[in-house]
Amino acid sequence: MWSILSVAAALFAAAVSAVSTSGNRLLVVLDDVAEKEAYGQFLGDLTARGFQVSYETPRSEGLTLFHLGERTYDHLLFLPSKVKGLGPNLTPNRLVDFVNANGNILVALSSTVPASTSLVSLLSELDISLPVERTGTVVDHFNYDTISAAESHDVLVLDAPSSIRPGLKPYFELPGGVLAFPHAVGHVLGSGPLLTPIVRAPATAYSYNPKEQAEVLDADELFAAGQQLALVSVMQARNSARVTVLGSAEMLQDKWLDAEVAKLGGKSTKTENKEFARRVAGWTFQEIGVLRVNSVEHHLQGSEELNPGIYRVKNDVSYTISLSEYVWDKWVPFVLPEDDLLQLEFSMLSPFHRLNLELKGTTDDAAIYGVSFTLPDQHGIFNFMVNYKRSFLTNVEEKNTVSVRHFAHDEWPRSFVISGAWPWISGIGATVTGFLGFCAIWMYSKPVGKKN
Amino acid sequence: MRFSVASTLLALASIASAASSWTFSDGTVQVTSKAGNDAVAKFSADDRVQNTLTLGHQDKLKVTLTTKEGSKAKRPHQAFLVVKEASGLEAPFPLTVKESGKGTVEITQKDLPVQLLLSQEPLEASLVLGSFGSTKGSVTPVFDFTVKLDPATAVPSYEKPLRYGKLAEIHHIFRADPKNPPRIVSVAFSLAVLATIPALFIGWFAIGGNFAHVQKALSSAPISHVVFFGSIVAMEGVFFLYYTKWNLFQTLPAIGAVGVAAFLSGTKALGEVQRRRLAGER
Repeated sequence: MWSILSVAAALFAAAVSAVSTSGNRLLVVLDDVAEKEAYGQFLGDLTARGFQVSYETPRSEGLTLFHLGERTYDHLLFLPSKVKGLGPNLTPNRLVDFVNANGNILVALSSTVPASTSLVSLLSELDISLPVERTGTVVDHFNYDTISAAESHDVLVLDAPSSIRPGLKPYFELPGGVLAFPHAVGHVLGSGPLLTPIVRAPATAYSYNPKEQAEVLDADELFAAGQQLALVSVMQARNSARVTVLGSAEMLQDKWLDAEVAKLGGKSTKTENKEFARRVAGWTFQEIGVLRVNSVEHHLQGSEELNPGIYRVKNDVSYTISLSEYVWDKWVPFVLPEDDLLQLEFSMLSPFHRLNLELKGTTDDAAIYGVSFTLPDQHGIFNFMVNYKRSFLTNVEEKNTVSVRHFAHDEWPRSFVISGAWPWISGIGATVTGFLGFCAIWMYSKPVGKKN
Repeated sequence: MRFSVASTLLALASIASAASSWTFSDGTVQVTSKAGNDAVAKFSADDRVQNTLTLGHQDKLKVTLTTKEGSKAKRPHQAFLVVKEASGLEAPFPLTVKESGKGTVEITQKDLPVQLLLSQEPLEASLVLGSFGSTKGSVTPVFDFTVKLDPATAVPSYEKPLRYGKLAEIHHIFRADPKNPPRIVSVAFSLAVLATIPALFIGWFAIGGNFAHVQKALSSAPISHVVFFGSIVAMEGVFFLYYTKWNLFQTLPAIGAVGVAAFLSGTKALGEVQRRRLAGER
């Protein structure tokens, strides 16, 4: 009886944890647990997808991210909170440790509440800068919602991202849709490769401090304007942990999920906030964009032996790698984004071959990419290396080390197959024949002109 | 219903206010230069500066204007001079605007980002005016200017930031495979070499070489001669087998056996040859 129960429990646990590849324990940090009502739909959607959502305020006593060195939560969601610092349990240091331990963080900011110093420091650690005074509203006098912010212009209505950058998976792209960003905080990104802006502010938008710059925007105190301002950005650390900054927490609230908005001089339309929020949360909590390497195989062409430890220079070798991608609740074959390539490097210190892997076939949950090539004419210790690092996709770094030996003395091509050697071989033949003929004549020739 | 009334009212309000929008007057752009290419040009909302201005490394570009809401001079919240490069990269320069609507901004080369300094095309400056409320904002392209860098100093360098993505293919070859001359050349030279064999024999026969004493030699020392000459041929055969498939350890005993046979038979056979020589028959 107990065994049946435990099996059932294990199955249930497996079904629940199937939601995300990196666990389902989500901690929502907000000012007052009652505030979660405002985000009912969004959080309900997360629960329905299988997340175990816990709610804490920064002040709560028992809040800790680590227990005995292990993470107690898999994901963190920061909703705006009025406290200046988030307390001793959520110091920037702890949060960085959390990311280093493969935890994912979604930071939602709002211009109505100054960002807490812990989050500002965490973000500056990631090269994401917020306005100095911790509060800044993004306004755009050309792209605002005429229904809700006709006077203050602080509800931005933007086209949903349609092409973020070539060669990326279209996880966040909702062509034709509009997004509403109420009371958004803009941020500025550093130039690191781990950061990717998802939604940038339009060219005419700018950030200002409503408390100090309500009347006049001092020319020297402009934080950022135009496309330099990002509203939603993602960061994927080297360990594939994810941090997302959402400039407007209010866009997750029920009233904005499918609110009616109207652009200046345009008709009122429904926003795509709900779908966008689902994708942003799903990506951050590793429900989409997660890659898995199922197997790596390499072998000598014409040989049955898999993954041998040694090859010879100039061997013809085939390499295949099987990749799966996690999409919400199941593994599917990984299809490369448009305009992108999966590449194999055959390297010793630096790559000597970098080859494009081609799709060789797919199974129900895996795609097999492969390439055949001739090893370089240099012996040494080489690596088959697939280093597939892309924004939005977890890092794939597969390194298989093999020795490459040089030719054995009896593996070189024989001189008779080298056409350039034929005159020399003929020369040896001529010498041998001449020698035998000379011996015969020397021994058996009869002197000329002498009678026997 | 209430909603639709509200939006209708709003629409009406926006139509009513559509007449008023943010504009400017007395627009002037002035380049003060130490190198002597001063320039002053006037512009308005409908009339941009036609000729391209030049901003040298010691020059100062100054824009002055009066902002207006409708026809009344007033200060907007947003008054930016946006400098745009051909690729779409923009740098905003906020104007310092007084209550009266008089606004100024000064740009030198130091204020421009590197990417704009390096632009080959002229930079386009436009004026963005906008503020809260229902008054419409405006974006007006006002003038173009080119940046003339200081020839005495190094050109500022700009390094593209690293982005993950596909890389160029590499097919590195340490040493190219050795190449053979055309096959026909090798064949021709081989035939030329082989042609020396008949030439050699013809030459020998021409100066009197022959095999006439084979009979005599075989009759006086038949076994020795057959074995000796056979062992010479066999030695070549051993070398041929060594070239094609044998290794050294198979070859050495064979050479030993053939060598012993050659030595033993050779003493007799060559003795017979010596006797013929002493008899004056060679």
